[in-house]
Amino acid sequence: MTWLCDGSLEGFLCALYESFRLRRLPERLTRDRSTIDLFEEVYDIHTDDETAAKMMAHLRVQLAPDTLRRILHTTLCDDAAYERELLLYTRLALRDDKALHDLSQPVVFAIEGYEKRLMRVVHRMYGFVRFEMLEDSSLYARIAPPCNVLPLIGRHFAKRMEGERFIIHDTSRNLILVWDTVNLAVHPILEASAPILHAEEQRYRGLWKSFFESVAIEERKNYKAQRNFVPLLYREYMSEFA
Amino acid sequence: MQYFIQPFHKKSLCQNEIFSPHIFHKYYNTIMKLEEKLQILTDSAKYDVSCSSSGSTRGESYGSLGATHASGICHSFSADGRCISLLKILFTNHCIYDCAYCINRSSNDRQRAAFTPREVADLTLNFYKRNYIEGLFLSSGIVSSEDHTMELIAKSLEILRFEHGFNGYIHVKLIPGASDDLIRRVTKLADRVSSNIELPTQKSLALLAPEKSREKLFAPLELVRNDALEQSKHPIGMSTQLIIGATPESDYEILRLSSALYNKSLLKRVYYSAYIPTVSHTLLPALHTPPPLLREHRLYQADWLMRFYHFSYDEILSPQYDTLDERFDPKLAWALRNLHCFPVEINRADKETLLRVPGFGMRTVIKILRARRARSLGENDLKAMKISLKRARFFITIQGKRVKQTTLKYEYLQNQLLALEKPKAGTQPSLFDRFQSFTGEL
Repeated sequence: MTWLCDGSLEGFLCALYESFRLRRLPERLTRDRSTIDLFEEVYDIHTDDETAAKMMAHLRVQLAPDTLRRILHTTLCDDAAYERELLLYTRLALRDDKALHDLSQPVVFAIEGYEKRLMRVVHRMYGFVRFEMLEDSSLYARIAPPCNVLPLIGRHFAKRMEGERFIIHDTSRNLILVWDTVNLAVHPILEASAPILHAEEQRYRGLWKSFFESVAIEERKNYKAQRNFVPLLYREYMSEFA
Repeated sequence: MQYFIQPFHKKSLCQNEIFSPHIFHKYYNTIMKLEEKLQILTDSAKYDVSCSSSGSTRGESYGSLGATHASGICHSFSADGRCISLLKILFTNHCIYDCAYCINRSSNDRQRAAFTPREVADLTLNFYKRNYIEGLFLSSGIVSSEDHTMELIAKSLEILRFEHGFNGYIHVKLIPGASDDLIRRVTKLADRVSSNIELPTQKSLALLAPEKSREKLFAPLELVRNDALEQSKHPIGMSTQLIIGATPESDYEILRLSSALYNKSLLKRVYYSAYIPTVSHTLLPALHTPPPLLREHRLYQADWLMRFYHFSYDEILSPQYDTLDERFDPKLAWALRNLHCFPVEINRADKETLLRVPGFGMRTVIKILRARRARSLGENDLKAMKISLKRARFFITIQGKRVKQTTLKYEYLQNQLLALEKPKAGTQPSLFDRFQSFTGEL
């Protein structure tokens, strides 16, 4: 049977709860309704916040912090079909957490792989976010990363821009991360209008672009290496590649 | 800034009795547009390879803007595939010295420019706020005197740190020959300082940079280290750069020097820079000689073996084998010369031994060590962990068995391994594969 959940962390926790309640595993667990065939038997999992909170409290008590963190992180990899593997991984962790060391177990390897990939994207975003200064001297950046790293990159920028207000806007998920020099928060939005830039913004963008071009050594140019390090999908909002 | 009005500039203006605006702009760089200065001074700084922003141990905090990140962060990658982490600029490319290998030597006809300390600070802050950079890398040609140049650099740092409370990464090139007090002043404010030795031996130095000597170049680094030792503090990270291929030193001599520098706890990092001819000189390779990039790469590999894989320089090379093999990486070359150390059983060998297996890196070894805590590993387990045995299979046993039939004979292994290095078939031919299309290899 195929189980269908809503793709949120709560949805996943409810699916986990169901697997314990029904004492069975789904053949497939997915959040994507479009992948379901006409004649497939589907169990639509109702997301209930109370059940999710109970499940979460249980995991918090039962699992090592590292394992829990890994589970939470995996739910942010929204470009991968991680659900069933994560379900198996969580059940394995609850049953026997020593088995989590055994990397040759496909489930363990897969989940560690998802987290590793997510952290790689996080690290890349630390470098590749490009802020623009707006009219009111606050900073605004647009990103479109392959997985949902917005909740993970806030602290890093808040630490170094303590005194600056900034917004990071994930245009592919319509989420914004706001730092107002005191609080850090993620909000969903419907739409965003084009920002009005600071008078100096174009000048610094020009200076950055000319620095970027001057620093390359002609005799060593290597576009392949460049593309390995900055894949095209990250370049959309990086002004030096515009 | 009194030095902007130097006699040299005055003279060139006076000689042209008619005032010509273009010359005025050329020499009076206070009027030169910031963008143009940035271009010139980036262009002059780009041959310095160091760009790491990692491993800062500075405890002090100067204010609320900026932080350092333990692993360092690359903010972009330039067209040559090198990481851009720091705003890497020269304060000025005016220089009183005439070192043959240097693009900024005084006898080279080149457009000159200079920043003011405030311009440096302004650029750094505005780039930093937009997350273009991780911090500043400030080097300089020597203008008027060593102390004067160092003073200007110190001023820039003081504006950044004290006036703007900037906490980001700052790497400064110390100016050899500057006074101890100035060097201390700068070191206190920086996250990393360095001084480039450039040429591996005293002889080459005497030949190409007669005004410099080894002692003079090391003096600032030794001063900083000794200060730190006296206060029993963790010393600030220091690095240096060696130019490869400009002079005839062998790889053995270079590695021996690097090893000595690491062992004296003088340096955290030695950078190698393939020499790119930028000036023509009788003592140097001709212009348009391609930079020895592969040799540079092999030296970095050997350097990594010394710093992370517990190899010593005389294991990698010896006076008999004084050149790194271009066909094989240094670890593989070492393994081929030391076949008596193999094969290694992956389920029993300790970490150090596993690290010496060609084709296994740090990550692979950690994976193996972790997984074998659960149980003895077979070949399929390694596959499930996506561990490549392409190279390693010749040197290991898995549960006592070889992966495929193989013998530990030098000639056999050499042929097998060379076959692995061949470029992949099926790549698209380019216009430049002339040789291949003539020989029918396509």
